[in-house]
Amino acid sequence: MKKQGSGHRSQVPGKFCAATVAAVVTLLLWISAVSFAQQQPMVLKGGKLLTVSHGVIDNGVLVMQGGKISALGAASSVKIPNDAKVIDVSGMTVYPGLIDSETSLGLTEISAENMTNDRIELSDEIMPHMHVYDAFHAESELIPVTRLNGITNAIVAPDSEDTLPGQDSFVQLAGPSAADMLLVRDIAMPLNFTGAQRRNESREKRKFPETRMGMASQLRQAFLDAQDYQQKAADYEKKKADAERDKKPLPTTPKRDLKLEALLPYLQGKKPVVLAAEGPSDLETAVRLAQEFNLKIVLNHVSHSRPVLDYIASLKVPVIVGPIYENPKEYERYDAVYSLPAELHKRGVKMAFASFDAHNSRNLPYQAGFAVGFGLPTDEALKAITLNAAEIWGVADQLGSLDPGKTANVVVANGDPLDVKTDVKHVFIAGQEIPLVSRQTRLRDEYSTK
Amino acid sequence: MRRNTIMLRALPMFFLWLTRAASGQQPPDAAHNEVVIKNAIVMTVTHGNLKNGSVYVKDGRIAAVGESVNAPASATVIDAGGKYLTPGIIDSHSHIALDDDVNEATSPVTPQMMMIDAFDYQDKAIYRALAGGVTTSLLLHGSANMIGGQAIVIKHKYGARRDAMLFPGAPRSIKFASGENPKRVYGSRNELPSTRMGNFAVQRDALVQAQDYMRSWDDYNAKVKRGDKDATAPKHDLKLEALADVLRGKLMVQIHCYRADEFLNEIAMAKEFGYHIRAFHHALEAYKVPEKLAAENIGIATFADWWGYKQEAWDAIPWNAVMSMRKGVRVAIKSDSDDFARRLNQEAAKTMHYGGATEEEALKMITLNAAWIVGVDNKVGSIEVGKDADLVLWDGYPLSSAAVPNKVWIDGDVYFDRSLPGYGMPHYTEGQ
Repeated sequence: MKKQGSGHRSQVPGKFCAATVAAVVTLLLWISAVSFAQQQPMVLKGGKLLTVSHGVIDNGVLVMQGGKISALGAASSVKIPNDAKVIDVSGMTVYPGLIDSETSLGLTEISAENMTNDRIELSDEIMPHMHVYDAFHAESELIPVTRLNGITNAIVAPDSEDTLPGQDSFVQLAGPSAADMLLVRDIAMPLNFTGAQRRNESREKRKFPETRMGMASQLRQAFLDAQDYQQKAADYEKKKADAERDKKPLPTTPKRDLKLEALLPYLQGKKPVVLAAEGPSDLETAVRLAQEFNLKIVLNHVSHSRPVLDYIASLKVPVIVGPIYENPKEYERYDAVYSLPAELHKRGVKMAFASFDAHNSRNLPYQAGFAVGFGLPTDEALKAITLNAAEIWGVADQLGSLDPGKTANVVVANGDPLDVKTDVKHVFIAGQEIPLVSRQTRLRDEYSTK
Repeated sequence: MRRNTIMLRALPMFFLWLTRAASGQQPPDAAHNEVVIKNAIVMTVTHGNLKNGSVYVKDGRIAAVGESVNAPASATVIDAGGKYLTPGIIDSHSHIALDDDVNEATSPVTPQMMMIDAFDYQDKAIYRALAGGVTTSLLLHGSANMIGGQAIVIKHKYGARRDAMLFPGAPRSIKFASGENPKRVYGSRNELPSTRMGNFAVQRDALVQAQDYMRSWDDYNAKVKRGDKDATAPKHDLKLEALADVLRGKLMVQIHCYRADEFLNEIAMAKEFGYHIRAFHHALEAYKVPEKLAAENIGIATFADWWGYKQEAWDAIPWNAVMSMRKGVRVAIKSDSDDFARRLNQEAAKTMHYGGATEEEALKMITLNAAWIVGVDNKVGSIEVGKDADLVLWDGYPLSSAAVPNKVWIDGDVYFDRSLPGYGMPHYTEGQ
C-alpha cells in the first residue's frame, strides 16, 4: 500500500469499499486508501474559468464535491458550502484537465532499457488480443511528471510497428491502483498503415508482409477470419438452442480464438478503430479497407495528406492530428505539418492533439499552442486537448469541460494553458488535490539545498 | 503509438532525401543593400529591449541600433509594424546536413574526421531550421567515439553554394564523447571500450600518443632551427596531428557528457594533459555540480526538458539550465535534432517556466551563450554595432508557444520570408 519516496500514489482518489474490511490489520492497510476519496468540498475562487463548453467566466467560482464538479459560475451566483476548503485563485486560469489522445504512459520507463519497455509485441503483425492494460505500470515515474503540466487523462496505446498492435486503454493519471486508473479498457484499436509495418528492415530479416500489398491482404484476411469466426459462433448458439429445445446432445463448443474474438467489437462497429496513415495513398488504401468491413474509424496523424484535406473532411470522422513536430517531406513547405490543424479546422473536422510519446506527454499543451501560431483559433486548440478528445473517446459525459456533474479533473495555472511559460499551480483529479511532486522535483529540491 | 523518441540523439538521424535541388541555387545579391528595420521591439540581448527601435544594416553588418538611427535616404526601409526583432538563433549542437555521415564508428578515436567532408549543403533541414529562426549552427561529429571528428560552423544561407555557407573565421572545434554511447557501440562488438573504465583508458591512451607525437615534432623542429642537417622528420599522422592540436590549444573541445561524475573525470583528464574544455554537451546532470563547471569556465549546451531516453538521461530535470546558470555556468539550449532546431525559441522559453529565467536570460541561451560555445560570440549572438546582421523578425512574442519567424536575415540579406509563396526563400527555387 505504501510506497515510500514516490508519493504520487498515496495522495490519490479512488473508489473504496470499506464493507470488505474486517480485520484490524487489513483496516490499517486500507486507511490511506480511505483518504484518497475527496472528503471535503473544495472551492476555487476568483479565477478565470475556461469552461471549454460554455465560454469564459471571469472572477468565477468552482466547487468540487464527492469527486465531481458540483457547481460553477460567476462569484455572485455560486453558493460556497460551509465546510469547504477555499483556495483563492485570483489572477489564475482554471481549466479542465488535459487529455492526451495517444501516449505510451505506463508502458515505458527508460526508452533504451528494454526491460523497462512493454510497448509492442513484434512477433506478429496481427495482435489485436494485446491489451495495454496488462502492461500498464501505475507507479511509472513518468506519470507524476506528466500531471505536473496539467495532463490528467490519456490514451495509452501500443507502438505502431504492427498493423494491428493491440487495444488502447483510457487512463486517469492518478488513482490508488492500476485498476482504478484504467477508466476504460480496450477503448479502441489502432490500425496502422504507414509503411513502417512492413517487415523489410534488411535482406536477412525480411519476411511477409514486406510490402503494403502484403499488409493489406493480411489485414483483409484477419477481418474475414473474424467474420467467419463470428458466423460459427452464431451457428453454434443456434444449434445449441435447438438441441436444448429438442433435448438432444449439445453440439461441441467451438474453439476460442483470442485474436479473432478481439476483432469482433470492431467488426460490429461498437468501438472505434484508430486508423493511422500519413500520406494520401496510404490514407485512401486504409480507409477503403476499413469501409469494406464497415469499421467505425478515427483517423490518426494524416501528417502529409495536405492534398486530400477535403476528402478527409468528407469522411466526417474525427482526426488525431500530429505530432505537429513531425518534419515535413522534402517536397513540402516548412509549415506543411504545422498548419494542418488550422486547415482541418477550416474544413470543419473535429480533431484532437496527442503527444504520441510518454516522457514528453507533458508538452501536449505546447503542441496546441504551436498550432495557434499557424492559424488555429486558441479556443479550438484548447478544445483539441479537452472536450474534443473526450467526445472522440466517448467520455464527454465525465470529462473534457468544466460543467456540473463531470469528474473534477481541474487545473489551475498562472496564464494561458497553451503557453510554454505558463506554470501549473494546482492539479485536481476527481476533486483530490495532487501534490505537484515528481522524481524530478525531488532531484531539483535535493540539489537546490545542497 | 508512433515512437517519437530518438534514443541515441547523437547517433545518425535518418533522413530521406526525396528531392534535391541539384541546381536550384541563386547567389545572394552581391551588393548588400543598406536596410533600416524600423518600428520593431528590438531585443538586443546585451542592452535590453528597445521599444520602438530601429536597426541600420550596412554591408552585412549592424551599423546602428537605437530609437532612431542615422541612415542615408537611399537605404531600404522596412517597417516592422511593432513586431519583435531578435538576433539570429545559434544552435550549438547539430548533426543536420551530414547525410547520415555523423559517426565514423569504426574506431573510438577518430579526430582526423573532418565534418566539412560530409557537409551536404543542400539538405532541406538547413532551410527548416532557418524558417525557425536559426542562422548559425555547429555541425558536430556524433558521440559513438570517445574522440570524434572536427566540426564546422555554418550560416543557414540556404540556396547559396557550399563555401558561402561556412562561417568565416569561426574557430575549430573537436567532438569528444563519454558514457553510454561509446561503450554501447564498441561493447556490442566485444571491443574496447565496453565500460566507462575502458572509455577513459582509450581516451588517455590516445592523448599519451599525441604527447609523444607532439614531442617528436617539437624535437625535430628544434633540431632544424639549430641547423642540424641530419635531423629526420617524424612521420605525419593525421590522427595524432589533430590530437596534438588539442594539446596545443588550437581546437576547442566539445564533450558529449551526461553524468556528474563524468564531468569531473573529463575535467581531471583535461588538466592532466593541459587542454581546456569549451563545453559539455547534453550535460543533463550539470545541476549536480554546477560550481565545478563554473570554476573551470566550462559552458553547457543542454536540452530544455528532454529526458528518460536512456539510463544516463534518467536524472535529467527541466530545471537543469536555470539551476546551473544561477551558479555561474554559461548555459546554451541546443537542438541535437532536425526537429528541435526548428523551434529553439520555445525550448528556451521553457527555462522561464522551469526555474524562472528572465526573458533576456532565456534568449541568451539560444543566442549569445550559444555563440560563445561555438566561439563566434564576437561576431553574432546579439544586436550590437559591428556584429553580423543576422536577425529574426517574429510574428508573436518570440519566447512563447505560438511565435513564428516572419523574416530572417543573414549578413544583411533576407534568406527566409514567410510571406513568400513556395518555400518562402528569396535565394532558392526548387528544381531550377
